[in-house]
Amino acid sequence: MKKPLASIIGNTLKWILLISLLSLALLPLLWLLVSSLRTNLELQTDPFGWPQKFQWVNYANALAMASLPRLLLNSVVVAVVTVVLNSLVTSMGSFILAREHFKGRDILYTILTAGVLVPVISFMVPYFSMITRSGLYNTLLALILVYTAVNIPVSIFLVTAFMKSIPKELEEAAIMDGCGFFKRFSMIILPLSRSGIVTAATFCFIYSWNEFVMAMLLTSSIESRTIQLGIKFFSSQFITDYSSMYAAVIITIIPSILGYVFLHDKIIGGLTTGGVKG
Amino acid sequence: MQAVGTRNRWIWSARILFLLPVSLLFFFFFIYPFFFTVFTSFTSWRGIGSMKFNGVKNYAKLIADPTFQKALGNNIVWALSQGLIQVPLACLVAMILVRKPFGWRGLRTIYYLPNVISTVALAMVWVAIYNVDGPLNAILADLFGMEKHNWLGNPDTALFAVIFQTVIYIGYFMIVLLASAMNIPRSLYEAAEIDGASTLVQEINITLPMLRGTLITTMTLAMAYGMRHFEATFLMTGGGPAYATTTMGIDLYLKMDALRYSEASTSGVFLIIMGTLVITLLRKLFGSSDPMSEMAQ
Repeated sequence: MKKPLASIIGNTLKWILLISLLSLALLPLLWLLVSSLRTNLELQTDPFGWPQKFQWVNYANALAMASLPRLLLNSVVVAVVTVVLNSLVTSMGSFILAREHFKGRDILYTILTAGVLVPVISFMVPYFSMITRSGLYNTLLALILVYTAVNIPVSIFLVTAFMKSIPKELEEAAIMDGCGFFKRFSMIILPLSRSGIVTAATFCFIYSWNEFVMAMLLTSSIESRTIQLGIKFFSSQFITDYSSMYAAVIITIIPSILGYVFLHDKIIGGLTTGGVKG
Repeated sequence: MQAVGTRNRWIWSARILFLLPVSLLFFFFFIYPFFFTVFTSFTSWRGIGSMKFNGVKNYAKLIADPTFQKALGNNIVWALSQGLIQVPLACLVAMILVRKPFGWRGLRTIYYLPNVISTVALAMVWVAIYNVDGPLNAILADLFGMEKHNWLGNPDTALFAVIFQTVIYIGYFMIVLLASAMNIPRSLYEAAEIDGASTLVQEINITLPMLRGTLITTMTLAMAYGMRHFEATFLMTGGGPAYATTTMGIDLYLKMDALRYSEASTSGVFLIIMGTLVITLLRKLFGSSDPMSEMAQ
């Protein structure tokens, strides 16, 4: 049977669109990767092209840059502590919001999740003022507190939705067995919500690792700056050495790529938690 | 009776204990900053010293400020481009992927990938791509013999250039729309198939109406994000050249950097108002969907 012309054209257009978008998603990253392995001369003479010889020395140069290891360490500390703190406070809060019944519960839930609709960048002045007054300016703790708080709406939304989906019977059986409030949380609900908490934690990690604006606002020296500021502001160190700078950038995005490779199902699942209701 | 009372009090202490950390953090980083921003926007305050009430002076000054007008206009362009180009494009891709063409899972995963990469890194790449001697001009010269153009340095193309790069983030809205499209009952399509409806007709008469709620939600979010856009532009152009790409967020930051705190707060209040306006306006226009249920991330 001959395919009608319209369907052939439609199919071609469809694949042109899908492949263009695929290229747009991947080519910038591939260009960055390839450029990080070329010499500066190669980069200058032709923005494209394959390296004649892989210049791994660019990576050595990037890591040898005095501040890079420190900045990476700061980012790891901030992201890890933020994820732990955020997971802890939001799973405790979500437990009450999802499994306990009392007046005002839904209002509290709505307020906490509505935080997503607030543009946090409009809070630059109060954040700066609060952090400075409390003596936390230029500390990792300042970033940890801000990131933990900013992620509350998303985490509460994801974890509460997950905890609500746990069948009541499981909890009732536990109560019959004499489980009290804390045991219900730590032995029943928390382990059963692991998957939801991991999803929220993944989003929280990605945010904390990549965040730039608040880090720029609230820190001022190498001791407490994160890697994102490093590649933005210390790029002046590389002013003539672009390939090493690109190597440094690749180093900073490796954790995100690795995390995505292992956790993309969780991320996509998290994005569609609400979507399915639409 | 007394036992019940004790137990009641105990369970309430436990509940409050569990809700306290999250509520305190939320109070200090959402509620208090909101009122602080609104309050300082009515004062003259430069970060130190006492706040002096000066009525709506800051607002009058802000509205008359050509830089802010430019920023507001740019944010409106941002919001419209995100809501009316980005989301429909994401919807088109979702409608293609829901029919599960070859490799659709892989495509879905890769389309979302740029969303997990830091804006700092990607902005740096885009600056290199748009550079006069960069890859984009090289491609255009090879393909069409076009002359070299300074995409980010020219006020006529800078805004277009910073907005264009957001197309790589399409995966976010696409995934939400795709999940919703996957929930449309197959039987609707089968019935249409029997009636002899073409694929195109099926998409227009079944998929689009069924996606209506999710489309409104994603459009609302996209436009709200457009209103608060800051990071990529700040990193790529700093709002220049000649304020061609500035946004309300950048205006706020620059004022703060110049220690004009109360004026920065006024910009912040405008940012919140414009975001809220977008949300309420779209709700009025299209009826209420449920943004609360779909705003994960």
